[in-house]
Amino acid sequence: MSKAAAFLLVLLLALLPLAAASAQVPVRTEQLIYTILAFNGKDYSATFAAENSDAIYLLAGVDSFLSARKALVYFWPTTGEWKTDTDSLNWFFPGTLELWDRAGRARDIPLQKFTYYNVKGEYELNWKVAVGEAVAREFNRYQELYQDYFKSVAAFQKANTEYESSQDALLQKIMKTRQAGGDPSTLLEKMKSMVRPVAPEPPKDYVVPPTPAQEAFILNLPRGEYTIRLKNPDGTVMEGSEKRIVVHERRRTNGIGYEVIPSDKWTRPEQSTTPSSVLHVNGSTDLYLRPFFQDEFADLAYARTVDNAARGNPNIYSWVRTQQVPHASIEVQTPAGPTLLGERLYYVEQTKGSGLGYTIVPFDPQGAHKGKAPNLIAYKVAIGKDTQALRLRALDGNGKPLPGSERQIRVVRAAPPAVLLLSLAGLPLALMALVLSLRERRYSSQAPAREALKSNSF
Amino acid sequence: MRDRIHAAAVIARRQIQETLLSPGLYVTLALGLLLGAFLVRGFAASIDSSGFNPQLNPLYDLIARFLGGTFGGAFVGKLFSEGPYLFALLVSFAPVFAYLAIASVFRFGLEKTAGAVELLTYGPADGTAYVLGSFLKDVALALLALLAILVFLAVSAAAGNLVLGPLFFWALPVVFLAALAVCAYGILCSIIASNASSALALFLGVLLLFLLILAGSYSIASAPVRSVSTVAATVIQWISPFFYTAMCFRGLQGGGAGALLGGLGLLLALAAALLAAGHAVISRKGVRA
Repeated sequence: MSKAAAFLLVLLLALLPLAAASAQVPVRTEQLIYTILAFNGKDYSATFAAENSDAIYLLAGVDSFLSARKALVYFWPTTGEWKTDTDSLNWFFPGTLELWDRAGRARDIPLQKFTYYNVKGEYELNWKVAVGEAVAREFNRYQELYQDYFKSVAAFQKANTEYESSQDALLQKIMKTRQAGGDPSTLLEKMKSMVRPVAPEPPKDYVVPPTPAQEAFILNLPRGEYTIRLKNPDGTVMEGSEKRIVVHERRRTNGIGYEVIPSDKWTRPEQSTTPSSVLHVNGSTDLYLRPFFQDEFADLAYARTVDNAARGNPNIYSWVRTQQVPHASIEVQTPAGPTLLGERLYYVEQTKGSGLGYTIVPFDPQGAHKGKAPNLIAYKVAIGKDTQALRLRALDGNGKPLPGSERQIRVVRAAPPAVLLLSLAGLPLALMALVLSLRERRYSSQAPAREALKSNSF
Repeated sequence: MRDRIHAAAVIARRQIQETLLSPGLYVTLALGLLLGAFLVRGFAASIDSSGFNPQLNPLYDLIARFLGGTFGGAFVGKLFSEGPYLFALLVSFAPVFAYLAIASVFRFGLEKTAGAVELLTYGPADGTAYVLGSFLKDVALALLALLAILVFLAVSAAAGNLVLGPLFFWALPVVFLAALAVCAYGILCSIIASNASSALALFLGVLLLFLLILAGSYSIASAPVRSVSTVAATVIQWISPFFYTAMCFRGLQGGGAGALLGGLGLLLALAAALLAAGHAVISRKGVRA
């Protein structure tokens, strides 16, 4: 009996991990969701509002795209995110979106064909939206550009093959002429005069190309709260489709933030976004800065615009990087006077040998870095051994200071001395001891008089 | 009126003297400064080549995890954007402030129960003068404690090449006025309650309620928690000193002088309203326990 019990116990213990393993498989639930393609101030974020989501957050004054679908929703514990399994179920609901504002005014929003794409700017990503007939036009334009490019590539390949064959044929002739004792100079001249065809450049019009037409409800609303629900093509209302829409806007725009790249951690840049913030560094390496424009959004609203299931603080505003400051320069105030820093190209070299580390050196396109691309384009702020504090600000292309770009760099090489701080913290106790001892002394000195007073009173 | 103010000033002076002759203020101030010292040194130890990195120091790792988990990363970023001093100010002032407020509430209750306040009213002072004197004592000692903390933190900043920062300096009047409003609540609770322990319980309960509502509205908790907190806040926030304190900090954060000055004015108005309410109650109810 005891053997059987022991066997059962061992079996149970052996099966326990299997039970845990099966519990790790995410449970998929069929839900009516809204897929959201929301503009977040710099690009488009794809997210979705599950059935238990209390609201959809969108940015005011820009096009955002919503569609209602039936999909499988599950929680992925590895990343702590809610996800959709659209491969298994992705049922698109046609119909009309009914939208009410706070005043109770309702309007119907129809499904529309759309595409979005990003055209190349000088520094920026420039998002555009095409709606209705313009979708096909834009998509065709993109396709034509690439068809032309592929035709050019085919023509290039043909010309290149012909060129190679001609070169080979000429080479053969030259060799034969030489073997026959003839003069190949004419053939050599001809060979030299042949021009190798140039490979065509791929079209650079689009940074992100337009996709084939998609269908969605396009919302471009002023700031406020709204309610939506889906009306089926037969006019009935889809159950469970009612959702609150929160449309928020930037509190401040065109602030200046800095990307701070220390040379020993160039792959992990930090950001200095708050205008009055102080950048504390230990001064072990030089800093490479990159100024950028930033907009300020409500933390919760922005986080949920990017990811509807995200968490954020409803009462805190945070700065979000939007784009690089074009043609900027940085003015550093040092004890010796102001120094103007320009944008430079740098190349990151890995430390040779077994020791890990990087060295950032100026990019040398003609010398050591010929044929390579620069790793870093930034403004170098040198931190010297005696540097204690630096003040800097960004200037625009005309040399005018950009408001809100002032920052202070403080080099903190060591913590304030513990002895000093603890002594100062102990001062109130010392003062207490002094006051209490003085009081005690005074009280003792008055003791005979008190005793006399007591005896007289009796 | 002049007699009442004179009586209040005399009572305040007497109470300040008594407070300075007892160890409580010194101990709590030393404790506050000690906490400040740990925070400043911890911050300096958390600095690497790219800036403030809480993971480098166990204390800051814990603080950043707790605050980040409760109020979000953006909150932590704002709190330490100018250095450790805003947080150090709040933490250093907390023990002294708690001592002053609790001691006032408890003392008023005890003296009321013992009949000491009633005895005073047979002389040149009345209940309002006593209450006003107690409040003036809190004002003076809070100011003294803030000055001591300011000097301590300024010395630590100079010694460590750190900066106090504009947010810190703006936080000083905000913290001071918030402390006054909370002390005014303490006085009102003492007047309303019949004895010291119930006054203290009422005061701590009210403070806890205000703090929970503030924490709820700032937390990154799920929507239901936030909704409950928001509903509660819409009713109670207008009488909460922490709501106006948060309004001041929001104004500071957004560069809006209006919100900052409005918040400071409202804190002052709240303290005045609470004292006026205290005067009305004590005039009607008297000073007997």
